Amino acid sequence: MNASAQPLIRLDGIKKVFYTDEVETHALAGIHLEIQQGEYVAIAGPSGCGKSTLLAILGLLDTATEGTYTLNGNEVANLSLSQRARVRNREIGFIFQSFNLIGDLTVFENVELPLIYRGMKAAERRERANAALERVGMAHRAKHLPSQLSGGQQQRVAVARAVGGQPSILLADEPTGNLDSKNGEAVMDLLRELHRGGATICMVTHDPRYAAHADRGVHLFDGRVVEENVGATA
Amino acid sequence: MNAIARDVRYAFRSLLKAKGFTLVALVTLALGIGGTTAIFSIVDGVVLRPLPYNDSQRILRLVRISARGEEASFSAADYRDLKKDATNLSSVAGYRSDIVDLTGRGEPVRIIGMQTTAGFFDVFDAPPLRGRTYHEATDKPGAAVAVIGEAIWRQQFGGADSVIGSQVRLNGTPTEIIGVVPEWFRHPGKSDAWMLSPLDVPTSPFSLDASGNREVQYFTAVARVDRRKSLVEAREQLKSIGARLADEFAKTNAGEALDGRPLADSMVADVRTALFVLMGAVGFVLLIACANVAGLLVARGASRRRELAVRTALGAGRGRLMQQLLTESLVLAAAGGALGLLVANWALDLLVSVAPENLPRLDEVALDWRVALFTFAATIVVGVLFGLTPAMQASRPELNADLKDGGRTGTARTGARNVMVVAQVALALVLLIGAGLMLTSFSRLRAVDPGFRTTELITVELMLPLARYDESAQRRFYMGVLERLQANPLTAQSAMLFPFPFGGGNAQAGFQVIGQPEKPPAEKTVAELNSISPGYLQTAGLRLIAGRDFAATDGPDSPPVALVNEAALKEFGGKNPIGEQVDLGSPVTVVGIVSDARRRSLDAPPRPAVYLPYSQFVLPYMGAMVRTDKSAAATASAVKAAVAQLDPDLPVGDVKSIEQIIDESTGQPRFRSFLITSFAILALLLAAVGVYGLISFTVTQRIPEIGVRLALGANPWQVFSLVIGQGLRLAVMGVVLGLGAAVLATRLLRGMLFNTSATDPLIYASLALLLLTMAGVACYVPARRAMRVDPMRALRSE
Repeated sequence: MNASAQPLIRLDGIKKVFYTDEVETHALAGIHLEIQQGEYVAIAGPSGCGKSTLLAILGLLDTATEGTYTLNGNEVANLSLSQRARVRNREIGFIFQSFNLIGDLTVFENVELPLIYRGMKAAERRERANAALERVGMAHRAKHLPSQLSGGQQQRVAVARAVGGQPSILLADEPTGNLDSKNGEAVMDLLRELHRGGATICMVTHDPRYAAHADRGVHLFDGRVVEENVGATA
Repeated sequence: MNAIARDVRYAFRSLLKAKGFTLVALVTLALGIGGTTAIFSIVDGVVLRPLPYNDSQRILRLVRISARGEEASFSAADYRDLKKDATNLSSVAGYRSDIVDLTGRGEPVRIIGMQTTAGFFDVFDAPPLRGRTYHEATDKPGAAVAVIGEAIWRQQFGGADSVIGSQVRLNGTPTEIIGVVPEWFRHPGKSDAWMLSPLDVPTSPFSLDASGNREVQYFTAVARVDRRKSLVEAREQLKSIGARLADEFAKTNAGEALDGRPLADSMVADVRTALFVLMGAVGFVLLIACANVAGLLVARGASRRRELAVRTALGAGRGRLMQQLLTESLVLAAAGGALGLLVANWALDLLVSVAPENLPRLDEVALDWRVALFTFAATIVVGVLFGLTPAMQASRPELNADLKDGGRTGTARTGARNVMVVAQVALALVLLIGAGLMLTSFSRLRAVDPGFRTTELITVELMLPLARYDESAQRRFYMGVLERLQANPLTAQSAMLFPFPFGGGNAQAGFQVIGQPEKPPAEKTVAELNSISPGYLQTAGLRLIAGRDFAATDGPDSPPVALVNEAALKEFGGKNPIGEQVDLGSPVTVVGIVSDARRRSLDAPPRPAVYLPYSQFVLPYMGAMVRTDKSAAATASAVKAAVAQLDPDLPVGDVKSIEQIIDESTGQPRFRSFLITSFAILALLLAAVGVYGLISFTVTQRIPEIGVRLALGANPWQVFSLVIGQGLRLAVMGVVLGLGAAVLATRLLRGMLFNTSATDPLIYASLALLLLTMAGVACYVPARRAMRVDPMRALRSE
């Protein structure tokens, strides 16, 4: 599923309309966006501009009302539920604002979970999960439960879970939103380090300081891309 | 007090607000409490409640135990000796039932009468409704007096006081009615009238001279223990009298013993264990209901975590929170208890209507203050039982987390509910296995071949009043009826017999083949005696294996002849029985061998039996058996017509098909099976609701987690398996526990099972599988819901 000549992600005319009884809300009103392999993109904009909706569509958690979505050269807008789950599992790594670790599973089990869904053998899973935890500096906490960790540590575990399966792209939804500034900076450093290692990252943030970490900034307003600029990279 | 009143008010408000929860909890509690109350009413009425006589625990049923360990009736001589020597008994009485024709007041009426000795009402100390009862001190044998029951008094005498002192004819004998006893005085069985015997013992129904013959045993004896003596002393004395009689009259009494059993115990001995097992079974249902409601309360507690956290933050201590939550449980239990009483009332009517007629003291079963007290106690216990764990759990909020998210994302608090679901599944499985064993046993019992054909066979009781029918009159009557029946095409295939199979009638005699070595008394064979007319074998469908059937030539003055069954063959020491003689008090020649048939009950294997021609051995309790494809009513008319030609005043007795008689004889196992199966089905449904409730609750609680799993690439079927797996893991744990508990609990059923092992692996395995399937079905709906979780929405809600 890799092709260097084409963008990793290509969105053409993506629209998303939410229907309620009487109101039609246009969350996305025709998004055109390309993300190249190895790029670090920050999607910014005010609250309600459609950032999270866009990220959900990118992560195959939601479907567009209109438009085409090509991931790694494959059209993914019309996949079945099982096919979408498979693509999500293999191609996409999620980092959520509220970490979303599973409280009943240990740190190691949380990181291992997507690999179980992939049907990977136990030995390989163990190796990958340990490597991911080493990478984020959380291997020593492998047997702990999420509730025994600080917010910053939980987010590092969430990052390990996202990268453990070596996905094509990491989607991060306000990854520092629930953290203090010190822990926020640490997570941003971690993402930058992953990017340096070759990871493609698409991050939603409303904080310009963190948006500046990305190669490129995409500004949304009222469901449209209103500005794109190349930011500083460290 | 104010705080409690406030809590009660709040409880009502809070329960009314959560209508769905309250409705499900109330229905569950009402079924549990109602079922338990209904069964308790039966157990109380039949087993626990004292008999309605003064100082009833001092009344003993006297029993003679034969050398073979079987209970036997009393002979006049044994009774007289006992009465003379038993100084620890203040009064002793003998009685036997009789069919009585009440005449002298318009239409003749046939009633069930009891001929008793003068001390009968000294033993059963009960005040009469009108007039007086007879007593040893005031009424001497021979006084023609009788006491009648309230029902007959109202039906036949219009409830008039003038009945006292009036004369009626009972079996043709002018008799003065001296009193009326209330309806509840029914001992023994369904008596309508009690008549003073003309002798100091009940008169013998046999033509034999019974007064000095200890082998002629025909009546029952009861006694009241002297107030100055204990039951133990009285029983010890009876045993020593029995031992003395066994020594003194070794020829007839060797190996025999005497004892006295509390009357209430002896009346219900056969059903006591069964009723307590049923009480235990319905108790299980109540426990399952409690676990269910406790589960609902835990779920409700989880959704109220924010409320409880706020209360705690405002300064409520844990004790205060627990008080409030327990008050809610008790209010709920009280409402459930009130509904339970209504359910019990309805269920009791149903139970009494399906209960077998031979369940003793059934007419004393009622919903009264004792039952209400039980329901009240059950309600309190149930309220605390299902309320305590949830209250303890909910009163320990994790303040910070609960205030922030209202406990929405918690997953660690299902532990208590898991335990309850496991317990419910285990209890339900015990009940299911109990029901499976009982049903298997019952179906095997009903599949037993009784040894005769059971279809198109009608029986008609033709009991004769002894006062008008001596032995030769009895013989003439039965022969006359049979002759008329056989002449009628509708009833051409008919016979006379005593006793009807499974009818309760019984006659037996020591069985000794002449020429074979005599056995010691304890090993002596006792044969069942049957009196039959020619044609009985064909009518009933018994096979003649060798020899000949009876013929018209086997008359009263011909040499005595008999048929024996296959079970009796071993008594002949390998010789061909045909032509051999057996000693039944006098020698009788065997002329034929017939196939075995069960006579007492389907579960009692055939015993050695002797068939005697009715012309040579006639009893006034015989009846007609008719093979016909016509209805019982048509048959009854034909029999009535035949009887009327011979004795217009003689009413015929019960008309029943053999199938009906077999149904009645298996009434108690059927009743037990019906009840325990009903409880098991209820338990299964409640357990299914419990599993469904837990899994559904868990899915709701885990929606954010499911969203994360879906985001991480779990496909919907993996989520489905996750949810189903959780339910099935709990069910498997419950099944394992239930199987272990069932092995222990079903030991109590052993005595009630027929040809069925209490640990039958097939029954255990199939019911465990049924329960697991049920658990799977209960998990299916929430699992499907989990599959359809929208990850986007789930993550947003997180």
